[in-house]
Amino acid sequence: MQRALIGAVLLAVILGFFGVFMVPRKLSFMADGIAHASLFGIAVGLLVGGMPLLWAIGLAAILGCFLAKISDNESIPMDAVIGICLVGGMSGALITMTFIPGYKPELFSYLFGSILGIGWDDIYILGVLTAITLVMFKMQWRTLVITTIHNDLSKVLGLKANTAKYFLFIGTSIALIGGVKLLGVILISALLVIPYSSASLIGKSLKSCVILTQIIAITGTIAGIFISYIFDFPTGPAIGLFLVTIYILAATYAKIRAQPIWWKSQHTPLD
Amino acid sequence: MTSKVFSSQANIIECEEITVIRDNKEILCAASCCVPRNSLTFLVGENGTGKTTLVQTMLGILPQREGKISVHSLNREKVNIGYVPQSIEFPKQLQLTVAEYLRYVSNLDTEDIQNSLGIVDFPLSHLPKTINQLSGGQRQKLLLAAELSRKPDILFLDEPLSNVDDTGEKHILDVILEIKNKGVTIILITHDWQMVSTYADHVICLNKNFLCEQGTSCICKNSLSKVNIKQIQKITPDPLNTHDGYCYIENV
Repeated sequence: MQRALIGAVLLAVILGFFGVFMVPRKLSFMADGIAHASLFGIAVGLLVGGMPLLWAIGLAAILGCFLAKISDNESIPMDAVIGICLVGGMSGALITMTFIPGYKPELFSYLFGSILGIGWDDIYILGVLTAITLVMFKMQWRTLVITTIHNDLSKVLGLKANTAKYFLFIGTSIALIGGVKLLGVILISALLVIPYSSASLIGKSLKSCVILTQIIAITGTIAGIFISYIFDFPTGPAIGLFLVTIYILAATYAKIRAQPIWWKSQHTPLD
Repeated sequence: MTSKVFSSQANIIECEEITVIRDNKEILCAASCCVPRNSLTFLVGENGTGKTTLVQTMLGILPQREGKISVHSLNREKVNIGYVPQSIEFPKQLQLTVAEYLRYVSNLDTEDIQNSLGIVDFPLSHLPKTINQLSGGQRQKLLLAAELSRKPDILFLDEPLSNVDDTGEKHILDVILEIKNKGVTIILITHDWQMVSTYADHVICLNKNFLCEQGTSCICKNSLSKVNIKQIQKITPDPLNTHDGYCYIENV
């Protein structure tokens, strides 16, 4: 339980920060694409007998690099390419699995997550990954904000837009795979997409959105783990469903805030 | 086409026979032009002739396949360049406020932010608003304020008045003339011939599918002939004297 909580919070922090830039760039689908495609790496790892997660991280880094490379080319539709990666990775994984004889329980643990399987080694790796990610965000923050607004502007300002772009794509890909053990391939995109999507409905500035993103991501994972513990639910879906509930509440609040509510409409300026 | 020789003292930017290809399509073909130092240079031409492409190539945003672009500094210091694009589609989910935008782009503190917004007559009450809540004209003013605050030596403006109302237009024009008088070189894309004829120190005209020197179909010559060409000719002689002083990019 202790390891699960630490691991989940570290992962929520990392993916929350990446979500701040991936969601406004309309790259949310990349989380699903990379996570599903990484199954091919896991399957190869299971087949050759290495650490499946390392194979998956290697494949995700290559895909992240490839997507970063083509992201500036306006004639290539990113969502279609991500979809192709997803189909290719999943198909490759399923065919590779046919070469492994017998029942494959590991595959299901990667598909749906198995947070109680997290060991201290995993926590140390996640801790190092979090530290590196936070330092990189500190160094690249301004460039990431400006390239998200307008890529050309960053070139005029003399910023190293390419460094920031490759950090964002490769970092997101690796962080997603780092979270596969927690939420599984199918649900890991929840931590990347939902916290910032909810925060942007409530926040009134970028700073407030970043703070809200972290609050929602951390609260969502901790609450999800406790709910799964109390009610004996699977952890990944419990976290996912809790985050979806937060999003629905945020969307409802944003809708109410945007409408002239009854007590405002009853007061005219003459009052 | 022969290569042209420019004076680096007189010209701040020189483009020599640049060819630019975008999406496998040749947009500029061996185009040469120069931008005189401390001038208000207008970039004119019909839609699709490559005005924005030329500006983005000068800025280094787009690579040129052939040719050379030189930016000359008088004191050997790096030339500071500003750019206000025609329009920016701000990502709707990035809740960036006006104040945050200025801080990120220009590294300004609160007092400087207020000063730079005051220059372009941008209401300070909009500071806490997100950029997506601004109108097109207000965004244009914000982009201009951000670039002015960076104190550029050269300022590129891509149709800066396209979304601005009449009052705002006059104010921005005054601001442009004022910073020009302070020594900033301005390159402005526009379709407003009246403005070109009134304020231009130098005009670069881009054409498509014909050579300017072949005569009557030149949009620049035809449009300016109705207004004050002679003044522009007097101020801006063409280096090769081929096009009466205001038309020397041929885009075939």
